[in-house]
Amino acid sequence: MRLGFFLAEALGSLRRNWVMTMAAVITVFISTAILGLVLVTDSNLEQGATSLKNRVMIEVFIKDETTPQQQEAFESKVMAMPEVKEIRFVSKEEALDRFRESFGERITASLPINPLPASYEVYVKDADQVDIVAARFYDEPIVSHTPGTKDGVQYAAQTVRRMLGTIDLIEKGMWGATVLFSAAAILLISTTVRLSIFARRREVEIMRLVGATNWFIRWPFVFEGFITGLIGAVMGALSVYAANWALVNWLESSALDYLSLYKYPLWWEGSGWPLGLLPSLALLGGALGAVGSLVALRRYLRT
Amino acid sequence: MIVFENVTKIYDPDVVGLQDFTCHIGKGEFVFLVGASGSGKSTLIKLVLKELEPGEGRLLVAGRNLGTLPRRKVPLLRRNIGCVFQDFKLLPNKTVYENVAYALEVVGEPRRSIRRKVPEILNLVGLGDKTNSLPHEISGGEQQRVSVARAFVNHPPLLLADEPTGNIDPETAVGIMQLLVRINRTGTTVLIATHDREMVNRMRRRVLQLDTGRLVRDERRGSYDQFPDEPEEGI
Repeated sequence: MRLGFFLAEALGSLRRNWVMTMAAVITVFISTAILGLVLVTDSNLEQGATSLKNRVMIEVFIKDETTPQQQEAFESKVMAMPEVKEIRFVSKEEALDRFRESFGERITASLPINPLPASYEVYVKDADQVDIVAARFYDEPIVSHTPGTKDGVQYAAQTVRRMLGTIDLIEKGMWGATVLFSAAAILLISTTVRLSIFARRREVEIMRLVGATNWFIRWPFVFEGFITGLIGAVMGALSVYAANWALVNWLESSALDYLSLYKYPLWWEGSGWPLGLLPSLALLGGALGAVGSLVALRRYLRT
Repeated sequence: MIVFENVTKIYDPDVVGLQDFTCHIGKGEFVFLVGASGSGKSTLIKLVLKELEPGEGRLLVAGRNLGTLPRRKVPLLRRNIGCVFQDFKLLPNKTVYENVAYALEVVGEPRRSIRRKVPEILNLVGLGDKTNSLPHEISGGEQQRVSVARAFVNHPPLLLADEPTGNIDPETAVGIMQLLVRINRTGTTVLIATHDREMVNRMRRRVLQLDTGRLVRDERRGSYDQFPDEPEEGI
């Protein structure tokens, strides 16, 4: 293969047909930017959902008179449950410390005794199992209920479940959007490539008459499509990254910092996945351009 | 070089391209193909290039049977056939030099020999000073000389020309025809489809006349019209 010749042909025709090139680059740019936005938003939601799920925790308040033996027995029983990820003991003192942090020295200083009960924080592996696990604690002898209620066991069931449901719905929507935008991107790009090849169908015809093999004709077009796709996709990736970065910075310095947005990596970060915005989109753009050229050329290379 | 045996080509639905055409064109011959528009000249040329799928009958070009020639071998066939067209068919974005060089790139000629051969052939056709011009910057006659140079730079055994002088003025046409004769002298078979009565009459070469796809005349040293001495019917 005469790589030098094909590359020179591709670059030459990119330069000559620069209006078409611009159109194709902008098309790829817009398509990959939209795809990139979907990717970034999706991974942010994913992260939000995961952190939310990790925070699904059952608080079990225990009676002051619980003996260390009873505690130990309870702990080992809970740890034996397959649904449980982690159990943490919060002593009366720690509870008071937390209370003090939230409400200030003045209130706690005036307390004659520590009225706060000790508790266990039980983390479950799957947020959906929180009900089943919590139900097992209601009748534990060490649990301190206000008489007539079950308030010794508490968890944010409703809220968490609703939020998770919403995130799940949005994620599904995002996947739908990804599929839709990918299809739109492929159509847009292939139309642009087809237009630019249609404008040069006479050239293709002449090349065939001079005895060029189909691949001899194809390679420059493939390179051309690849380069066009690559430039557009790199532009798209960079702008998505810039937008993501700016948004994260803005959020961190604002009152919304609890949102803890995720900065999608621009480059591969060694962990294998994600590949990073730039490499994945650039590869995608280049491949789309090359394949688009091949498909568009097909009808001029018959017989 | 070219053997037609009862070749018939019918276009859909039933337009006759060639009808039961039988003819041998030997190596090194110089042949004119004449006939009115629609008589089948272009069909014949397209068949030889395998631009059209052959119909019935047998067609051999340079020993290859085009009926059984697989599609992927078509480029190889075309590299052995130089082609000159009425509309020149030059690549519009390439310079004169690049247009001629393309025919050599296609066959995988080394860069060094391309740099030697292209100026050589351009000097031969008298365009040594236009190598860096684009096709639209030069005259029709010059463009046709570029296309002759491109057709011949590979020294193909066969050269086809479809109305090579159709789009250029008579004086320039003589120059083009002289070029084709010179090429013929190197041993290349030349087949020219033409309407150029004066040219055919002046050259007195083998003439094949077609009429609605049939061969109606094959003369060794023929003229454009069958009976050149008879006065033409009133115009």
